[in-house]
Amino acid sequence: MPVSNRLILLAFISLSCLELLLFSSFGVLKPAEQWKPLDIAGEGGTALMATCWMAIVLGSRPAGRVTLLLALGLASVALGAWADGLDEFFTVTSALRFDKWLESALTPLGMLLVTAGIVAWRSEQLQLSEHMQRRERLFREHRAFDRITQLADAHYLRQQMALERAAGQPGSLVLLELTGFQDLQRAHGKREADRMLQAVTHQLLLNLRNHDLLCRYAGERLAVLLPDTPVVAAERVARHLQQMVDLTHFHTGDGEARVSLRLQSACAELDDEPDAVLARLNRELEGAAAQAGAALAA
Amino acid sequence: MDNTYDISTPLIAAQHQPALLFDHLHSLDVDASAVLGARSWQQPLSPAQYLALLRQTAAHLHSPDTSFMVGQQALPGHYGAASHALLRAPTLRHALALLVAHPARLSPLLAPHFVEEEQHAVLYWTDACGAGSLRPFLVEMQMSAVAALCQWLAGARLPWRFCFNRTAPRHTEQHQVHLGTRLQFGCQIDAMLIAPEWLDRPWGGAPRAASAAVFDGLVAQAHDEEPRQSLLGALYRYLLERVRLAPGLEQTAQHFGISPATLKRRLLAHGTHFQAELDQVRAHVALQLYQCRGCDNEQVARHLGFNDAANFRRSFKRWTGLTPSSLRDSLAPPLIV
Repeated sequence: MPVSNRLILLAFISLSCLELLLFSSFGVLKPAEQWKPLDIAGEGGTALMATCWMAIVLGSRPAGRVTLLLALGLASVALGAWADGLDEFFTVTSALRFDKWLESALTPLGMLLVTAGIVAWRSEQLQLSEHMQRRERLFREHRAFDRITQLADAHYLRQQMALERAAGQPGSLVLLELTGFQDLQRAHGKREADRMLQAVTHQLLLNLRNHDLLCRYAGERLAVLLPDTPVVAAERVARHLQQMVDLTHFHTGDGEARVSLRLQSACAELDDEPDAVLARLNRELEGAAAQAGAALAA
Repeated sequence: MDNTYDISTPLIAAQHQPALLFDHLHSLDVDASAVLGARSWQQPLSPAQYLALLRQTAAHLHSPDTSFMVGQQALPGHYGAASHALLRAPTLRHALALLVAHPARLSPLLAPHFVEEEQHAVLYWTDACGAGSLRPFLVEMQMSAVAALCQWLAGARLPWRFCFNRTAPRHTEQHQVHLGTRLQFGCQIDAMLIAPEWLDRPWGGAPRAASAAVFDGLVAQAHDEEPRQSLLGALYRYLLERVRLAPGLEQTAQHFGISPATLKRRLLAHGTHFQAELDQVRAHVALQLYQCRGCDNEQVARHLGFNDAANFRRSFKRWTGLTPSSLRDSLAPPLIV
């Protein structure tokens, strides 16, 4: 949990203790026969639930405006309900009538803050969705992203290819290979190689349409699913991506080395089972690499 | 005479293979000490401890590419003279010979073996330390280590074919990208095959080969540093050389200079027993005769010292769970292409 979230939690605990202290020092404990179990359960339960929600929000979200609003709102609701609950046990004799103030001010204030928090959360989600659009396409489901590129994996790609095929649209698939990835890994370490992969991923994403899907197939191979696109157009897209990456230099983190990048590609129409199309493209890329290797040896 | 190591021998320096796991986790921003526990870098690990680290890493990352990514970094590695020699090996043949001769440093958990036939050279692995369920992971790791090393030294991917002693996974994208598309599952052996003409070709990549004298010096130094082999690896080799004589437990124990009871106990510690090891060797020999030399049942039975083919068929079924003919069908197209 971030430090500021921890502070909020700490402040909340102190405030609820303070409330208890206020009631016990300025109030008189009611005799047990005046306690109303239903009220106690209702108000205590509200306080407990709101506290739980706040703890979940603080525990699972990074510190920030949305977290702050939601947590403060839920804390106010919880403190209001807590005061309400304490009211069932104590008769407050103080002329200030702070118990009524606490009850009727904190709860609406909390509701207001939570509402503001949810509105802010919505705009955050919109930004995130925009960010994720080319990475996940069509529908969102709970699944693992690749740790390094935040792209979907081969499993998701196959699902999407099957969907596309079932919809009867003539989509295409481009398989891309980043050559030199392994050499970079040898020369500068895995972290640098992963950074390069991230950089290329960003660059590719910028050059794709919103409904295209970029996936990390495995290792240094990426796949682009182009829905509703004939293979001729897909080849054009692939050439464009290739040229763009070929013109790019990657600078290692220490600024010492400049590595030029190369992208190999293979395209196919989605005219077969996903696995069959992918196997064909993999063989094609391997053949191209073997030819390049033979040319190098000669 | 005991230059073999067991599953519990403190053998693997913490800064060798285990450090690769720490590096891999670090590169993924995972707190390696939290996953693998704090570790003293002074004390060597036993194969059992290293296996446990691999198991924890695989379970924590739960990612299909872990074995391949860790494998890619594993060779030549920084394991002393054996790694230096590997880096300076003038040809694939030298590199593979080094790998087979220095398993304790270069491949401590799987014993590498090499055979050269007319049509192909075969590098294959047998279990060195009772890997159990982690075996497919180790095989993927070692295969990507060798494939990536060759790719680096040669400057291009070599046309390896890969055979796996396991059923095909549902999807093979990781195998395809990290190893290549020539994959065959359901074989009785974990092997990498290549045409023999590649063995003596000089590497095409950046020139790294040292002069013969320097290379020989490194090989000798590697031998001085760590001459040990795994017990199971050494046993496999011993049995392979004498497969036609069907050596018994006592004779074998004598060769290793230990009592039969000790040999039994040490094998048991690796989750195996003498007969299973002998059966594995015989199954591999039969496989080789079928696949590489095109022998028929009669010839294989005779070679292995069986009196009649029916008896041999029964034994073969016991070793592999398959009859010789169903094995040949399952391996179609055969390894000779």
